[in-house]
Amino acid sequence: MSPLRLAERLLQLIPVLLGISVIVFAMMALTPGDPVQIMLGDSLADQAQRDSLRRDMGLDLPVVERFFRFLGNALTGNFGLSFFHRRPVMDVILERLPATIELTLVAMFIAIAVAVPLGVIAAVRRNSLLDRIATIGSMLGVSMPGFWFGILLILLFAVNLHLLPVSGRIGFGHEVKMVTGFVLIDTLMAGRLDSFLDALRHMLLPAVTLGLAMSALLMRVTRTSMLEALSQDYVTFAEAKGLSRVRVVGRHALKNALIPTVTVAAIETGSLLGGNMIIETVFGWPGLGRLVVEAIFSRNYPLVQAAVLIYATTYVLLNFLADLLYTVLNPKVRL
Amino acid sequence: MSQLLGIRGLRTTFPTRHGLVRAVDGIDLDVRPGECLGVVGESGSGKSVTFLSVLGLVRPPGKVEAEAITFQGRNLLSLAPTEIRAIRGRDIAVTMQDALTALNPAFTVETQIVETIEAHEPGIAKGEARARAIEMLRLVGIPDAERRLASYPHQFSGGMRQRVMVAIALACRPKLLIADEPTTALDVTIQSQVLDLIDDMRVRLGMSVVLITHDLGIVAERCDRVAVMYAGQVVETGPTAEVVAAPIHPYTRGLLRSMPSLAHLDEPLVPIDGTVPDPTRLSDGCRFLPRCPHAVEVCARPVGLRAVTAERAARCILAEVAR
Repeated sequence: MSPLRLAERLLQLIPVLLGISVIVFAMMALTPGDPVQIMLGDSLADQAQRDSLRRDMGLDLPVVERFFRFLGNALTGNFGLSFFHRRPVMDVILERLPATIELTLVAMFIAIAVAVPLGVIAAVRRNSLLDRIATIGSMLGVSMPGFWFGILLILLFAVNLHLLPVSGRIGFGHEVKMVTGFVLIDTLMAGRLDSFLDALRHMLLPAVTLGLAMSALLMRVTRTSMLEALSQDYVTFAEAKGLSRVRVVGRHALKNALIPTVTVAAIETGSLLGGNMIIETVFGWPGLGRLVVEAIFSRNYPLVQAAVLIYATTYVLLNFLADLLYTVLNPKVRL
Repeated sequence: MSQLLGIRGLRTTFPTRHGLVRAVDGIDLDVRPGECLGVVGESGSGKSVTFLSVLGLVRPPGKVEAEAITFQGRNLLSLAPTEIRAIRGRDIAVTMQDALTALNPAFTVETQIVETIEAHEPGIAKGEARARAIEMLRLVGIPDAERRLASYPHQFSGGMRQRVMVAIALACRPKLLIADEPTTALDVTIQSQVLDLIDDMRVRLGMSVVLITHDLGIVAERCDRVAVMYAGQVVETGPTAEVVAAPIHPYTRGLLRSMPSLAHLDEPLVPIDGTVPDPTRLSDGCRFLPRCPHAVEVCARPVGLRAVTAERAARCILAEVAR
């Protein structure tokens, strides 16, 4: 694909993101309650002070002008002050975001590592015992609530067997200087192998909880598209050429079958970023999800607004990434 | 009588919800060195399945049984999977009906030719395999072969794509090419080009060709011998010229009469009455019986392939008369 076409595709994302910001702004503007009232609470501020704060926040301006101010600020990453933390929203979010991204990536890795090989084997050995076990397993995975499965894992591996920590991101005495914000990378950069392993142990249960739930659907999709690919003429032709079974299945069929898998993986990663609030709460994971849950309970609107915008943007970008991957997998697809 | 490929008593069945489908039911067939054998029959008569069975490419739950399938004196039925894989593509190659679906859309032509060469000549240098790929593309008449190696199948025209598939099939200089409906997916003007190419390659590489088609006209033009199939059985075999000039089996006669001919444009085409029998409910007797204008009582009993001359045979009581 040409760089020009890529740039064109990126430009097409702008209207989508604009639409999202309208919705996010409207969400804030239409929410009942006066932000000034919320910020000042029951304090003894008089009407003059209230009016002055309202002017400072630009709330006295017409709604259209407020929107463009919001948009301009959002573009520079300025979402205002977090009511609760009394610090810029973006600073608070950026502090928490790496933990969520790291957890999501590890969960995604686990999901793919489990789902793709299982899906392929289930398709190749269709109706075998393994296929049936995988089918039942994925049905359980799809229907089991994540928080319940997470609690079960905590009870078994942390409470009863004492093998893994109950919550948190890293244990006492293992803290290292955060440079990238990704604890697995930072511990390695600090040369602390023991801390790296400790961080890995902390990550294992939440990542497995998220990853297995995601792998269930991913495996079904991989199995179905593999069955479809295996019935194609090009598979018969590849076999007729005398290629090994591994090459026929692992290359000729799999490369074509991965397209639906990539789509679902991208969508799931997007919803994982936004949807792991519950898992982060269950495992005491200091990520964005937990931050947003706390913000919702404390009516911390600026923070919720910024988080929603970040979630939506990530989602859009992930879908764009999936589109890019299609062109690699199937040269017939053009952006 | 020398033979390259000998098929004896081949039966291929597929269990379905409606009963057992006997797709191929007791086929005896020989392919001789250097010849072009035409296999004619309508869709579902078992032409393609016969040769997929020979190569062990019938997928489960399909089941293949045979008294013997010999290729160059080796019984393919007794070979291990790796041994039969070594024969596929190297000794017996296949081209399929539609190159658009037979070539993998996700890989370049280079990958698809080179992997075939590498599968049969492990350890071949990358550059050498690539040079062979270019040579094959040139041989089948693809212009600008070196540059086209990097193209994907969908970037070729229909005729060129078919040529690419032939190039892949012939990359390892097989002794036998099974060309399964090589022209059905093509425009008429391109058809004869592809058939000429296959003919030309047969002579140049000294290989045998099995031309599977439903077009008796193509067989009459191109093939030394013909086998006519009906409902999973061979109903008539013999030298093409003799079979076309004096068909014995009523089905062959029907096929010839239903074929348009430029020499007899004024004669009406006569279709064969009736339809092909349900493959789950085949009778033990002659399968053409319900549609046969010459049917008599004995036709309901099992009828074998009867020799007419040393070269000809027909699965019909009329064979006795012809003899």
